[in-house]
Amino acid sequence: MSRSATSSKTVGLAIRRRFLASEALRGFSLLSPTLLAMVFGLAMPLLVLFTLSFWLQDYVDFIKTFSWKNYSDFFAKPIYGMILIKSIKISGMVTLATVLLAYPMAYFIAFRIKANKLVWLILITVPFWTSYLLRVFAWKVMLGYNGVVNSGLKSIGLISEPLEFLLYNPTAVTLTLAHAWAAFAILPIYVSLEKIDRSLLEAARDLGENAFMTFVRVTLPLSMPGVIAASLLVFIPTVGDYVTPSLVGGPSGIMIGNIIQSMFGKAFNWPLGAAISVMVMLTVTAMVCVFLWGTHRFRRRVA
Amino acid sequence: MKNLKKEDVIEQLATGQMSRRQFNQSLMALGATMVMMPMGSRSAFAASDDHPTVFTWEGWDVPELHQPYLAKHGESPNIAIFGDEEEAFAKMRAGFKVDLTQPCTYKVPIWKDAGILEPIDTSRLSTWDDIIPSLKTIPGTFEGSNQYFFPTDWGLTSVLYRADLAPEYVDNESWGMLWDPKYKGRLSMADSLIDGVMVAAIYIGAKDPFNMTDEEMAKTRAALKEQLPLMRYYWTSPADIEQALASGELVATSAWNSSYAALKKEGFDVRYSSPKEGAMTWVCGFCLMSDHDPAKLDRIYDYLDAYASVESGVFALTEYGYGHGNIHAFAKVEQDSPGLLKELGYSVNVDETLNAGIFQAPMGNEPALQAMFEEVKAGM
Repeated sequence: MSRSATSSKTVGLAIRRRFLASEALRGFSLLSPTLLAMVFGLAMPLLVLFTLSFWLQDYVDFIKTFSWKNYSDFFAKPIYGMILIKSIKISGMVTLATVLLAYPMAYFIAFRIKANKLVWLILITVPFWTSYLLRVFAWKVMLGYNGVVNSGLKSIGLISEPLEFLLYNPTAVTLTLAHAWAAFAILPIYVSLEKIDRSLLEAARDLGENAFMTFVRVTLPLSMPGVIAASLLVFIPTVGDYVTPSLVGGPSGIMIGNIIQSMFGKAFNWPLGAAISVMVMLTVTAMVCVFLWGTHRFRRRVA
Repeated sequence: MKNLKKEDVIEQLATGQMSRRQFNQSLMALGATMVMMPMGSRSAFAASDDHPTVFTWEGWDVPELHQPYLAKHGESPNIAIFGDEEEAFAKMRAGFKVDLTQPCTYKVPIWKDAGILEPIDTSRLSTWDDIIPSLKTIPGTFEGSNQYFFPTDWGLTSVLYRADLAPEYVDNESWGMLWDPKYKGRLSMADSLIDGVMVAAIYIGAKDPFNMTDEEMAKTRAALKEQLPLMRYYWTSPADIEQALASGELVATSAWNSSYAALKKEGFDVRYSSPKEGAMTWVCGFCLMSDHDPAKLDRIYDYLDAYASVESGVFALTEYGYGHGNIHAFAKVEQDSPGLLKELGYSVNVDETLNAGIFQAPMGNEPALQAMFEEVKAGM
């Protein structure tokens, strides 16, 4: 009894000494809360998803043998590729619209506002204090059959019957998403504009560039990191969005997220849903790589 | 960290005496408290642990539908809500434990095959003999003497339309209203296999809509494709179509009785049609889940009896316009407010209404139907 107590004490001491001696060990233990969260919250689910995508669904059970069938189905049936391309188009439009609208706002705050910048930034985030769903519904109210736009146009006599093309199509999805993600574009662009050394702009003007060329050759290239971050922050999550298309998209506005959701729900084919998710992830990764490569070249050329 | 009182914090903040570090510390403490809070007070939101958990549709959870249980046990059981049975199934497969669920008949066989159902001991139900007999023998809901389903609710899926906007249909009701190009962009149908794709199958005249031949399947697909450009949207929640019909955005849509009852109550000129091809009849009710808590069985059967009571039936009929499993509920409504049943679309002889419709049954080859529907919706 006493011998085992002593030996466990020595073992404890040995562990303690090893722990103090190894810098890596101490580093990992310091990291451990985050590391554990990453492993259990991100890596493991991804692994599960990946494994699932190679199984098959048989009525209520999974066939747990390795198979490429889900992936071959993905390529054999045109619907998945078609909707994925449509989702990418919609997200691309959303990203473009969001960044184009966000840039002037960020520019204004960074360069024109002298006092109380924080108040302006907070004001920009005010709409985001409400739930995402509420903002989507707000667009339903705006664009709806008896909505703000329709009743407004009706009351000034421009139309006699409500316009039906405002809601339930890909344009409505683009509009709603662009609004919903605006803050995620404004803030990174603002930060990169704010960091620009103002003397560089003065130098450009002193050397004879006009205001427009100064913007194109100095301000824009220097703010590219913010633009890139904003584009990625908007593009990546919107490709897989399914709430917005299901609420304002109508039959023509569905996106790949809706297909994945139906695979995990109504269609009850989890493995195929997992395979589609993996394909979406791969496609988005590839697109982001191409985008980064393209912007890198652009920056080199301008600078 | 020093113990800070609320007044101190505010004063230090206001006078700028609080250091950044102190402030961060108190923020952190607040954050940690917020994270812990839901754990402590979770039980405050639910009934006590002695009650069974019922997994059901929104609207069927209201206390008016289980008054006798409330009277006997003082509070409602734990209620969880699902949007449709597929969502419920997915959640339960992922480990959500419930005692009772309230699916519709066409889902009972697949749930039974998945091994999540247990037979109901009908001898423990005092209301079993009051249930409409034809509801007890729906194929797939029992196996020999094992009853897996306690039928409590039923109703129709049919075309609901604005008679003032489409008066030509008043004496010529059919599912074809949902294919009328005259109302392009003002029609809708449920985003569902059973209430959507099956409508198309009935429309094209499939012999057995729930087990179609390949040829019928192709015709159904063609019909859905023809219908797609006429659709405003496929609806997922009755609230969508009720608002849209009220505003005139929609002229006609597939719907359940409750939407008709709601709009009628608001005074709109709506009709709940009897299509010449036949409306669809659905039946929903309770299933006992195999991982129920045996200690709660008494209360589980109490809840079932409460839900199947005459007073619940009267509420379901008069408030929602839904049929009820208890046959005496119909007589009671007819006795209390003569003519109301007819106005809601029911015959006083219940079997007459039940037999007029096409009973919803489990669909053969559901994955193929779902894939087809997804493709049609994507415009293919």
